[in-house]
Amino acid sequence: MKRLAFLIVSGIALLMVGVPAWAHHGFAAEFDADKPLKMKGTVVKWDLINPHSWLEIAVKDDDGKVANWRFEGPPPNTLFRLGVTKDSLPPGTEVMVEGYAAKDGSNRASGKNVTFADGRKLILGVAGGAEGRPDK
Amino acid sequence: MHHRKIVFSCVFAASAAILLVAQVPAVGQQTAPAKKAWTPGRTPDGDPDIAGVYDARTATPVERPKELGAKEFYTDQEFKEVSDRLHRKDPTAPGASAGVFGEGGGDNRRVQYDKDVFGFDVFLSNYVATKRTSLVVGPEGKIPPMLPEARERNATRNAYNRAHETDRVQNQNLETRCILSNRQLIPLFPIEDSNTHLQIVQGKGYVAIYQELNHDVRVIPTDGRPHLAKEIRQYQGDSVGHWEGNTLVVDTTNFTDQTAFRGSSENMHLVERYTKVSPDMLLYRFTVEDPKTWDKPWTVEVPWMTAKGPLYEYACTEGNESLGLILGAARVKEAEAAKSAK
Amino acid sequence: MDGGTIPYLPEALKKKKENEMNWVKLDPEVKCFLPGVPRATYLPYPLQIVQGADNIVIAYEYQNAIRVINMKAPTKAPADTWMGWSNGHWEGDTLVVDVTSQNDNTWFDHSGNFHSDALHVVERYTPRSADTLNYEATIEDPKTFSKPWKISMPLYRRVEKDARLLEYRCPEMAEELLWGHMAKKTVDQQPGK
Repeated sequence: MKRLAFLIVSGIALLMVGVPAWAHHGFAAEFDADKPLKMKGTVVKWDLINPHSWLEIAVKDDDGKVANWRFEGPPPNTLFRLGVTKDSLPPGTEVMVEGYAAKDGSNRASGKNVTFADGRKLILGVAGGAEGRPDK
Repeated sequence: MHHRKIVFSCVFAASAAILLVAQVPAVGQQTAPAKKAWTPGRTPDGDPDIAGVYDARTATPVERPKELGAKEFYTDQEFKEVSDRLHRKDPTAPGASAGVFGEGGGDNRRVQYDKDVFGFDVFLSNYVATKRTSLVVGPEGKIPPMLPEARERNATRNAYNRAHETDRVQNQNLETRCILSNRQLIPLFPIEDSNTHLQIVQGKGYVAIYQELNHDVRVIPTDGRPHLAKEIRQYQGDSVGHWEGNTLVVDTTNFTDQTAFRGSSENMHLVERYTKVSPDMLLYRFTVEDPKTWDKPWTVEVPWMTAKGPLYEYACTEGNESLGLILGAARVKEAEAAKSAK
Repeated sequence: MDGGTIPYLPEALKKKKENEMNWVKLDPEVKCFLPGVPRATYLPYPLQIVQGADNIVIAYEYQNAIRVINMKAPTKAPADTWMGWSNGHWEGDTLVVDVTSQNDNTWFDHSGNFHSDALHVVERYTPRSADTLNYEATIEDPKTFSKPWKISMPLYRRVEKDARLLEYRCPEMAEELLWGHMAKKTVDQQPGK
């Protein structure tokens, strides 16, 4: 069974609440909403830092080459208030991560969510609002 | 004096109820004479005790909805209805935009995530309602219009910023540069999508107000000393305080022109009043005046609820990858444009 | 420092020397990053102690750094931070602060003296007169040092009547260093011109 007990909080899996988005700069200045990404890999580390946490995963391509990708997540302080600690997402955990590619061409993206091998999901980012358009 | 049944709004509860707080209005706002009002205890140094961790989130709109005219407070019944509508996620409820102050935000909203994965919804997040119909107090319930000279000053500045935003890091706003976030800068105004936790620690002759976002701390002397010389300017100005009964009054001047709160100038004069009105609530009230921006002062009142600590470190510049992403994206775009122009 | 040289483990000493050679590039303080404990105490900027009942705040003028020392039952940090996690208690007139969970990104000084994430610092603040404190910090880190070592120094109260911390929000001092290379090139800076 997964060691990811922190996901269960009062019967609701972990969710980012009270931190819809961080309005200090526009999403579109850094990331491309028209370049959604979905990749499978293993956790290298989860930098629980501000202003955004970063989930780094190692992704193997079809030729067996491994590249590291970093996905931007929410500020960790909210996560701490939900019981998350630095031991919550151990390196080596298999995950599927969805996000939107960085516009500068680097191996970085705005994280949307993480899905674990058992199907449970962790939201990394919520940037919707009244004017949001449906994401395909 | 009415007794309110206090029900808690909590993100973890499967069924959320709303924290209703009977507002004890500050000076001049009483609609009925109070019975013996709650007063805070004393610190070991003999000052009114306002120490604690607070959450300054609110769902009350900044300005009064037009249809309410000069109505400053809801009746108990109306208050209950508004709260219910917010709780039911009625997008037309006053405050449905959760107290957005309208600074920034634009581009963030283009992408919509699967909020229904966990029934995440901003309305269920922890917030406070007061019976005020707007955070701006008074019969108008609106921020006064900006003077023409201020409008012009801001238009010129905004135009420059828009045109040169990604030229260099210094042209980004203070928040993106991790110098001072919108939430930190005083006066403390509710801003959507931000960390609203803060902590007050009182010592002898000083009150420290520590905001979690970008680890901002103001250590305010309470001896009513004079301000710094007017030539000395700081992003957060210079704050000096004193006690008036149970209220901490903080007077701030000596701002720079860099923070420009609501388009104001470096001449802004801010008076904040902190009063703990119940074991669960501190009333934060401020008045701003700036004859170079508005023709009259205006006042806002925001209730802060006590919250569970501790505050966690928010180191910003140390992990600020955003600057690289923003500038990088701009340089890539320019390179592509240059290539296709050849 | 009390007593001679910092007792580095051999591998760590090599790293210290590398740090020292490249300190301008590597010292986090040059980038205006938070300094950690105890460096925050002896930076050339004042600090202010605000002594509450359940919490004691130490506010540092440098980069608006702040620590809140928990004076009630000790608690644990959820993750490592730059300024660490401080639990305090009194031993007579001495404030004893136990500082754990500092990340490994800070240095002790410009000379490249560094530590790992196993750093454990115990500070002692003892009044020695009405306007001075004696500050001591015991530093242990089994991944970096062969044994604990100690520093001590007096802290002098600023007695002028309007003493206060001023602002030193230094990210803007470090911006050119960190991001200047990504600025838009002006016409004069185009290659070949």
